[in-house]
Amino acid sequence: MDITRKGIACLMAAAVTGLATAAAAQEFDWKAHSGETVTFLANSNPLGQLLIDHADEFKELTGINLVIDSYQEQQMRQRLMTVMNARSDEVDVFMTLPSREGMQFAAAGWYADLTPYIQNNVSPDYNADGLGKALLEAATFDGKLTGVPLNIEGPLLYYRTDIFEECGVEVPSSLEGLSDTAAKLKECTDATPFASRGLAAAAPYTFSGFMHNMGGQYMVDGKSAMCSREAKQALSLYSDLLKNYGPPGVVNYSFQQLTALYRAGRSAMSFQSSNEFGAVMEGGDRMDDTAIVPLPEGPGGSHPTVIGWGLAISAHSANPDAAWYFLQWASSPEMQAKLALEGIAPPREAIAESAEYKAWLDESPVRKQWHEALAELAETGTSEIGYPIIANPESRQHVGQAIGDLLLGTVSVDEACATADAALNELIARD
Amino acid sequence: MKVEHDHRGQMAAMSMPALVFTIGMIAFPFLYTIWMSFQSYSSTGQVTGWGGENYLRMVADGEFWNGIWITFYLYVLSLVMQLVLGTSLALLLFRAKRLPGIVRSLFISPFMMPPVVAGMMWLVILDPSLGAANWILTSLGLPPSAWLASPVLVVPTLALIDTWQWTPYVALIVLGGLQSLPPSVYEAAEIDGASRRAVFWRITLPLLLPTLVTAMVLRSVDLLRFFDLIYITTQGGPSNHSMTLNIYGFRTGFEFFQLGYAGALMVTLSVLVLGAVMAFNRLRNAVEW
Repeated sequence: MDITRKGIACLMAAAVTGLATAAAAQEFDWKAHSGETVTFLANSNPLGQLLIDHADEFKELTGINLVIDSYQEQQMRQRLMTVMNARSDEVDVFMTLPSREGMQFAAAGWYADLTPYIQNNVSPDYNADGLGKALLEAATFDGKLTGVPLNIEGPLLYYRTDIFEECGVEVPSSLEGLSDTAAKLKECTDATPFASRGLAAAAPYTFSGFMHNMGGQYMVDGKSAMCSREAKQALSLYSDLLKNYGPPGVVNYSFQQLTALYRAGRSAMSFQSSNEFGAVMEGGDRMDDTAIVPLPEGPGGSHPTVIGWGLAISAHSANPDAAWYFLQWASSPEMQAKLALEGIAPPREAIAESAEYKAWLDESPVRKQWHEALAELAETGTSEIGYPIIANPESRQHVGQAIGDLLLGTVSVDEACATADAALNELIARD
Repeated sequence: MKVEHDHRGQMAAMSMPALVFTIGMIAFPFLYTIWMSFQSYSSTGQVTGWGGENYLRMVADGEFWNGIWITFYLYVLSLVMQLVLGTSLALLLFRAKRLPGIVRSLFISPFMMPPVVAGMMWLVILDPSLGAANWILTSLGLPPSAWLASPVLVVPTLALIDTWQWTPYVALIVLGGLQSLPPSVYEAAEIDGASRRAVFWRITLPLLLPTLVTAMVLRSVDLLRFFDLIYITTQGGPSNHSMTLNIYGFRTGFEFFQLGYAGALMVTLSVLVLGAVMAFNRLRNAVEW
């Protein structure tokens, strides 16, 4: 959708990149900015944390002093907003989610244009063309590359093979089949049959797969379409699953609660981020009794949600050249191979083919399933979460609000979608 | 004369840092927020207009009125619990003079804990599936509760957590007040044969009123701009059932980039806090002895 529109511009950029890279690579010096300082505003999610853990390797390679400013996702954005509105150079590099804030940050002029850097200033082994095409497109706005991809991720269905076997149920082959499966599990086990996000700000990430697989879209002909037949079916299915088969208090659930519940062996199905794979498997308790698949297809086909975090340089950075070295190191084949072995799905296809990564996958069937599910997401997925407008973050809140109200049982589906449509049409008009 | 002149000069110079701080850190941000509240911003933070539009929008905004209601509901509930329990705790500490120091320290320890840590701790304890609170309830044969995920219980639960944290603070203030009461009044009451209940209601409580009002002022300022605990535990949810005005303003400004509207919400909240403080100051003057 959004990705396709940018395809041509990005392909052209990639072609130019290939030619320019060879010439520039010959003169590349990793120590060119030794002694300089770069400030990195990080999200303390598993990906950001791993970059921080490896930061000393960057310092050793480049001699650049890396100052790390790490926060949880929301606080990171708030810090960024304060810095950017003040046009301050306090932050040189920040983590960003193009599917969420890309249009907004690009329109506000917060991203530095990385096109000249990736064309003219890369190390010989960087291989810019090896970065996932779709992810580069997603980070390209008005022909300008605004970030380099660090991973791919999306919500996947983690389920307990031992409980399924004990209860004699199969993983559903259709979206609507989730209800039947959850109902059977409820009769047979004490574990929560189905868990997913319920917190208003976080729920659209998991709900979007239901919306798209049901055949719905957020926006049709410039108007909010939450009351379309497909969207109402998606709202109904998602909220009924969580209300009838979800954990108590699911209305406040985000990734932390889902991971804790599943890791403790207290949920039979958990629809949650692929990025939580490492955290879910921590301790090894779930390694042998878990299987992973993408969300089953619905009447509208299979359109799983797929997004990726990226690294961007602040438009107000006083040191963008040194900052580019950090981006290049973090998105380099070598670094991404290391991250892949720690459960971060690589945006570079070549890494998935490397012997070391394959050996890591072969160590456990669930790792293979995780990888295969992600490969399917990369091939068939869409990055649309919430509305394709500049005020995308606010649009997510209205979608999440509708889900939250349904989970609390305070409104009907018709009322929830009508309230959401009214607020979202106003937002679209304001946008 | 010259000496006096020099003295005045020195006084002015010495008060300059405080003056600069007050203007720079209090007056300027507040005036800037007022200025922002009269501007309209686009989703990318660009100024698109000027006027009273934000205030008109606020009056018609259901979430604003919900924020006012939640703010005052949480405020009144927390304040009443903290004053009653804080006074009780202070009386206990005042009478139990031989209480070991370690026990006294334990009594007052919660308010020394950073609110973020307290919030995280209670979030784990109150988790409906994995938390200790529901484990205790079910072990006693009682039904589990949704706590912070319940639209009905979320505000009382937040009030309870805040009361757990800040009651010792109120108790310390009241204890200071109790220790400063004149013993002669109690001696006279004892000679007159007044009962303990009469002494409390007719002597202790009336004499403590100025101290209690001071505690009310201090807690009111904090409670009306209640933020950190809600941000950590519920972020205004479930749905909007704990969305105080402060949380709503923060979300509007920092997550949705509507800086002008957020400014209008914050100016309104500041006026409410100022109004409450002024009302309590008048009350304090009225009960001064």
